[in-house]
Amino acid sequence: MKFARTPGTAVAHVLAWLYAAVLVVPLLYLVLSSLKGNLAIFTSPYALPSAPQWDNYAEAWTTARLGPALGTSVYVTAASVAVTLLLAIPAAYALARSDSRFSTVAYATFAAGFLIPPFAALIPTVFLGIELHLYQRAEFLIAFLPATALPLSVILLTAFMRTIPKEMAEAAVMDGAGHWTVLTRLYVPLSMPGIITVVILQALGFWNEFFYSLVIVGTAPTERTVQVALPIALISENTDYGVLAAGTLISLVPVYLVYVMLQRRMQEALTAGAVKG
Amino acid sequence: MAAPDTAATDDRTGTGPGVSTDRTAATAAAPSPPVRTQQLRRMNATGGGRSLPLLTVPALVLYLFWTVVPIVFVFVFAFFDYRGILDFVASDSLVDADRFSGLDNFRLVLTDAVFLQALRNTAIQVGVAVPLMLPLAFMLGYYLDRRPPGWRVLSVFFFTPGLISISIKGTIFYAMLSPNGGLNGVLDAVGLGNGGAVDLTTAWYADPRTALGVIIFADLWQGIGWTGVLFAARLSAVPVELYEAAAVDGASEWRRMWGVAFGVVKGYFGTMVMLQFLWTLFNSAPIVYILTGGGPGTATTTLSFLVYQKAFQQQQIGYSQVVGIVLFLFGVAGLVAIRRAFRQAY
Repeated sequence: MKFARTPGTAVAHVLAWLYAAVLVVPLLYLVLSSLKGNLAIFTSPYALPSAPQWDNYAEAWTTARLGPALGTSVYVTAASVAVTLLLAIPAAYALARSDSRFSTVAYATFAAGFLIPPFAALIPTVFLGIELHLYQRAEFLIAFLPATALPLSVILLTAFMRTIPKEMAEAAVMDGAGHWTVLTRLYVPLSMPGIITVVILQALGFWNEFFYSLVIVGTAPTERTVQVALPIALISENTDYGVLAAGTLISLVPVYLVYVMLQRRMQEALTAGAVKG
Repeated sequence: MAAPDTAATDDRTGTGPGVSTDRTAATAAAPSPPVRTQQLRRMNATGGGRSLPLLTVPALVLYLFWTVVPIVFVFVFAFFDYRGILDFVASDSLVDADRFSGLDNFRLVLTDAVFLQALRNTAIQVGVAVPLMLPLAFMLGYYLDRRPPGWRVLSVFFFTPGLISISIKGTIFYAMLSPNGGLNGVLDAVGLGNGGAVDLTTAWYADPRTALGVIIFADLWQGIGWTGVLFAARLSAVPVELYEAAAVDGASEWRRMWGVAFGVVKGYFGTMVMLQFLWTLFNSAPIVYILTGGGPGTATTTLSFLVYQKAFQQQQIGYSQVVGIVLFLFGVAGLVAIRRAFRQAY
């Protein structure tokens, strides 16, 4: 059913494209700036660079020390995803197969997690980090971030695993299979789409995490993640905007690559993440 | 919580998912073998087994440890007089009785002009951002779901900000809105800048008249499109016949949007209002940190940023945690109000 051609729908088209422009112009500005020096950025912000300064990318890589920061981000993201899966998969398996009172309470506890905003208790979280000797270490994030990801991961995986017919598991148990076998041979393979969704969703969240990384892990070049390295470069005096823009784009490359490779799946994952309600 | 404690102890000596393979070892340590056998039999019969829910325990423990424990300590630290993170590192125990200070922190905070300003800024931020974002996002979602010309391209544009981290968003806005940045560049180009009849250019995040607006705009910029895509995903489940029937009855596009589509997703709309409210209320600290540092003066000091600023820049942990409690009460009150407003939906 087509849109009617009325003044109202004409306004809708205009507003939607205007908003799209508001979203795209800053990104365009970022790309153009990454190939210019400050003078060109200030005087003719939207002109194509007369002589592209590809050096900006090399400069960003060295001055913001993006190499080690990217390495730390990859390490933190991969390890946090692993911990999340290691905890969430067995939990979801149990919640999908058991309807005891304990399971009901556990499920409700995870579901309530959506309403606990992550910044609610920043300072005590710092103290816990200190007590655990994880203060100013990247490992803090690996211990902490999976906890923030568990409610959504468990709920999504449970929903997936509940679609697996219980009779299949029961038949396997009749043949003498234990939980470990049923889980690894049956439930994990059959819920792979759900697991991939959780991996995409949480990896993006872990990669993009900023404030805990800043406050608890801090800005030491050996520990900081790429999200922290960039704004730190910004706060330093004599900001070279071209270099900053180049660094920002470098940090977006991994996300963008994954997006291109898994575009449809990623869109589904991110939508699933928010449609949990 | 009627799960058997005895099972809990011996199963945890097993290796999590490998519970059943380790069962022979675990059985040796179990206090009452007959119960064990019974359990084993039931497990074999139904495929469930009473120990099965225990697989949720490791996930529950990690999750509760990092959520419940810190929130409890917000309420504890508010009554103590710590002078900063280093002061805490130096003390031996988690809570130092010598530093108990009763209600001093509360007295200090509630009479402090900075706190009252932060309360006002937060009220404005939440009061403007949430009521603007959700209806606009819903309308955008409806628009996308109607598959207008170019909707595929539009979806990619609206979706992209969802991939961007707060630090990148902050960096982009910092560059865009700096005095020599991209926004003033646009204004100059269209004759609204320096030398034009009307000069709209300013140092956006350093100007007290616009700074709080910048913080709010940064949320809207990213949030409307992203939430709109989510609404579109939800609305795609609405059968076209519903709209067609409404059209036959003479309902305009506007009426179909708010009368038909909104009715279908009202519960989801309420959930999104809640999540956006909480997000705006609690998570403004990072974007304020990057763009304005709470300034100029206290023009953009929100409660969320004040929690951070007092603890890490001004070494007043107690003050910071009293603000944390206020934030918490603000959040609970807001949730109750939102729930009530969307009650029919639940």
